[in-house]
Amino acid sequence: MKKIISLMLSLCLIVLGSVAFAENPTYHVGVLQLVQHVALDAATQGFCDALNEKLGDQVVIDVKNASGDSANCTTIANDFVASQVDLIMANATPALQATMAATADIPILGTSITDYATALDIDDWQGVTGFNISGTSDLAPLDGQANMLHELFPEAKTVGLLYCSAEPNSKYQVDEISKYLTELGYECRPYAFADSNDVASVTEAACECDVIYIPTDNTAASYTETIANVVDPAKKPVIAGEEGICTGCGVATLTISYYDLGYATGLMAYEVLANGADISTMAIEYAPNFTKKYQKERCEMLGLTIPEDYLAIE
Amino acid sequence: MDIAKLFNAFPGAISQGIIWGIMAIGVYITFRILDVSDLTVDGSMATGGAVAAMLITAGYNAWFALLVAFLVGMLCGLVTGIFHTTMGIPAILAGILTQLALYSINLRIMDGKANTAVNVNKFHVLVTSRNVRVLSFSNPIVFSVLVTAVLILILCFFFRTEYGCALRATGANGAMARAQGINTNIAKVFGLMLANGIVAFAGALLAQYQGFADVQMARGAIVIGLAAVIIGEVVFGKLLHTFSGKLICVSLGAVIYYLVMQIVLWLGLNTNDLKMLTALVVAVFLAVPHWKSKAFSRMAAQKGVLEDA
Amino acid sequence: MLDINHIKKTFNPGTITEKRALTDVDLHLAEGDFVTIIGGNGAGKSTMLNAIAGVFPVDSGNIIIDGQDITRLPEYKRAAFLGRVFQDPMTGTAATMTIEDNLALAYRRGQHRSPWKRGITSNEKEMFREQLKRLGLGLEERMNARVGLLSGGQRQALTLLMATLQKPKLLLLDEHTAALDPKTASKVLHLTRELIRDSHLTAMMVTHNMKDALQYGNRIIMMHEGRIIVDVDRETKVSLRVEDLLNMFEHTSGSALDNDRMLLG
Repeated sequence: MKKIISLMLSLCLIVLGSVAFAENPTYHVGVLQLVQHVALDAATQGFCDALNEKLGDQVVIDVKNASGDSANCTTIANDFVASQVDLIMANATPALQATMAATADIPILGTSITDYATALDIDDWQGVTGFNISGTSDLAPLDGQANMLHELFPEAKTVGLLYCSAEPNSKYQVDEISKYLTELGYECRPYAFADSNDVASVTEAACECDVIYIPTDNTAASYTETIANVVDPAKKPVIAGEEGICTGCGVATLTISYYDLGYATGLMAYEVLANGADISTMAIEYAPNFTKKYQKERCEMLGLTIPEDYLAIE
Repeated sequence: MDIAKLFNAFPGAISQGIIWGIMAIGVYITFRILDVSDLTVDGSMATGGAVAAMLITAGYNAWFALLVAFLVGMLCGLVTGIFHTTMGIPAILAGILTQLALYSINLRIMDGKANTAVNVNKFHVLVTSRNVRVLSFSNPIVFSVLVTAVLILILCFFFRTEYGCALRATGANGAMARAQGINTNIAKVFGLMLANGIVAFAGALLAQYQGFADVQMARGAIVIGLAAVIIGEVVFGKLLHTFSGKLICVSLGAVIYYLVMQIVLWLGLNTNDLKMLTALVVAVFLAVPHWKSKAFSRMAAQKGVLEDA
Repeated sequence: MLDINHIKKTFNPGTITEKRALTDVDLHLAEGDFVTIIGGNGAGKSTMLNAIAGVFPVDSGNIIIDGQDITRLPEYKRAAFLGRVFQDPMTGTAATMTIEDNLALAYRRGQHRSPWKRGITSNEKEMFREQLKRLGLGLEERMNARVGLLSGGQRQALTLLMATLQKPKLLLLDEHTAALDPKTASKVLHLTRELIRDSHLTAMMVTHNMKDALQYGNRIIMMHEGRIIVDVDRETKVSLRVEDLLNMFEHTSGSALDNDRMLLG
C-alpha cells in the first residue's frame, strides 16, 4: 500500500513538474521542410535563428523534413495541426500546399516559394492572400540577372536555359527571364531535364548555345558537379540564379541569401505570435538585397574580365 | 509527448490511409490476383492527380474529374499491358518504362508545370485534409470509406462474373487458363487497366485531399501499396477469408501504415530517418509470414521427435 | 477427324541447343479413336500433343480438326476443340481457386465470357455436384475447397472431369498418370476410359506404361526421333503383347527402347 501511495505521489510530482515546465514556452512553432537541400536548410536555419533571438525560451520549434515525399508533407502537416501549434512555417511549394489543405485557422508562413499566386492558385493577386497564409518569396531578380548576362556577354547570340522539369518554380523563372533576354536581343532555347540521370546529356545539348543560364533550381543545385564536367571542357560560361549553383558550375550570379530570407520569415513569425499581426493582411516579402558575385577560378579559366563591383565567391 | 495530441492526429492518418488504401487495392489486383509486379502505379497515381487538378482548376465538377482520372489511369495500364504482351517486355520492366514515360506525360497534362495547386478555398473538392476533424459528412473519412466500400462491392461483383473468374485463373495458372480458352494476354492487359484506373482514381482523390498535384507526388507509391497489402494480410489475414474481406484487409493495411507513420512523428523521431524507418516497418511485416512458417516447422519437427520417441 | 499433315518443329534453330523435336509427323485419326502413344525419351510424344494444342507454332505442315485448319490459331482459341490433361497435376487446375470455380471455368471453355454474368450459377453447381460424384472421391462435399488442398490424384481426376465437362472434339492426355502412385494411377486410368466411352470421345494418350498402352484404347502408335515409326490398328492391337511391341520397336528404329521410365510390366 505504501508503495502504491509513493508511486502515486511521485506520479503527481511528475505531472505537476511537467505542467510547471510547460508553462514557460508560450509558443509552439512547427517547421515543415520539403526536402534536405542546401538552400532550404539555410532558410530553415535563418527562420529558427530569428525566432530564437526574438523569443528565446518562449518558443519551441519543431523542425520536420518530408524527405522529398509530398505524401509525407500531408502526414507532417496533420501532426502539426493535431498538436495545435501556434504557427506553421512551410518551406517549399508542396509543403505550403499540404499545410494550406490541412488548416484554415493556424497561421502559415511560407518560404522558398517563388510565386504565391501560382503556388496557391490565387487569381487577381494583390500581394496578400487574404487568408491564413503569408511569407517570403525567393524570386530572384530575374531582370537584374538578364542585365548581368548582357553586361558580361554582350556579343553572345543564343542563351540556353537549363532547368529541371520537376520543379514548379524553375519553369516560371525560365519563362520570365526569357522575356527580358529576348528584349535584350538574345535567342532563348529551353533545355529541361527530368532528373539526375539526364542532367549530363541535356547539358551537353545546351552547350550548342553561346551562354547557359540556370535558374534557382533544386535539382540543378544538387548536380553542379555533373554540369561542370560538361560545361568546363566545352568552355561554356554559366550564369546562375543562385550562389550554390554558381559555385559549382557557374561564372557569375546575382544572388539572394536563403538564410536572410528565412530570417525575414522568422521576423514575420514574431510579428504574428508576439504582436498579434493579422497574417491575412501581411504582404509577401521579397529578399532584402542582392549581391553580384563571381566564381574566380572559372572566370580565369575562361579568360573573362569581371567588373570591379562583383564579389568573388569565397 | 502528449497522448491527446496523438489521438488528435489519428483522424488525419486514417483518412490519408483510406485514400492510399484505394490505391493499394489497385496494387492488390496486379500483385495478388494477376501475379504481376506492376510498377506503373508510381506514374499513374500522379497522372490521376494531375488530371484531377487540371480539371478541377478549370472549373469542372470534382466527380467528373475522378471519372476522367480513372479512364486516363486505364490508358496507362493499357500501355504497360501492350509493352508486356504484344512487345514481350517483362512485366516489371514494362511498368518501369510506362512510369518513365508518364513523367513527361504528367508534365504535359499540367501544362509543363511540375506542380498544380488545388485551392480548397476556391474550388469544391470532395475530400480535403482540412475537414478531417469535422463531425459531418464533409469529413474525408466518411467520403473515402464510402468510396472504398462501393469499390469493394463492385470488385467483388466483377471478380465473380465469368470474365472476372477468367482474370483470376490467368493469374493463378496461365497454362490452365489458356487450356480453358482464355486469352491470357487480353486478360492481363485488362487487369492492368483496371488496377491502374483504380490507382489513378486514388491519385485524383489524393490531389484534392492534399491540395495539390505534383509530378513527384507518387514517388515510391508502389512501396506503400505493397506495404498495405502485406500489412493487411499479416495483421488481419486470419480473420477475413472472403474476397471482400481480403480487400478490406488491404484498406486497413494502408490505414495501419499511416498510423505507424503518425506515431513515429509523434514520438519526435528525426524525420531524416523516416525513409529508413519506412523500409524497416515494411521489411518486418514482410518477414512475419516467413518467421511464422519457420516457427511452425520447428514446432512440427519437435512434435515429430516426441512422437517417434 | 484429326489430320496432322507432315508437321515439323525445331527448337532454338541455329544455336548450340538446337533440337529437332518433330522431324515429320503425319497422323490421321477417325472419330472415336482412342490412341495410345509410346516412345523413348525425347521421341516427340509430348511435343506432338503440345503442337496440336498450340503451345508453340509449328515450322511447317498443318493440323486440321473436323475439316478446320487450326495450324495458325493461338492456343486459347484451339481450346474450344480440345480437352487437355497434363503430366504435372499442378498444371491443369488453378490451385488458389475452389473446385467449383475450376469446374465453372472449364464449363465455359471455348465460349464468350461476359463481365456481367455470374461466373457460376446454382444450376451449374448442382450439375457439378452430380459430375463430381462420378469420380467417387468425395469431392462433391468439398466444392468450396481450394484445389491446392487436393492430392495429386484428386487433382488429375478433377482435371480430367474439367477436360470433358464441355465435350471436346479431341482429348489430349499427356502422361497424366505418371506423377501418381500405382493405385491412384490405375483409378484415374479407369476413370479416363469410362469418361471416353460414355461421351464417345476421340482421345490421344501418351503413356510410359506399355501394359497400359496395350490395355487401353483401340490403336497404338510408337514414336522415335520426332516421327511415328509404328502404327498398330484395332485388329492387330487386340492380340499384341509387350514383347511384340519391343520387337517391333527394335526392328523399325534399329535401337533398343531407351526410356528410363518405361514400364514393361
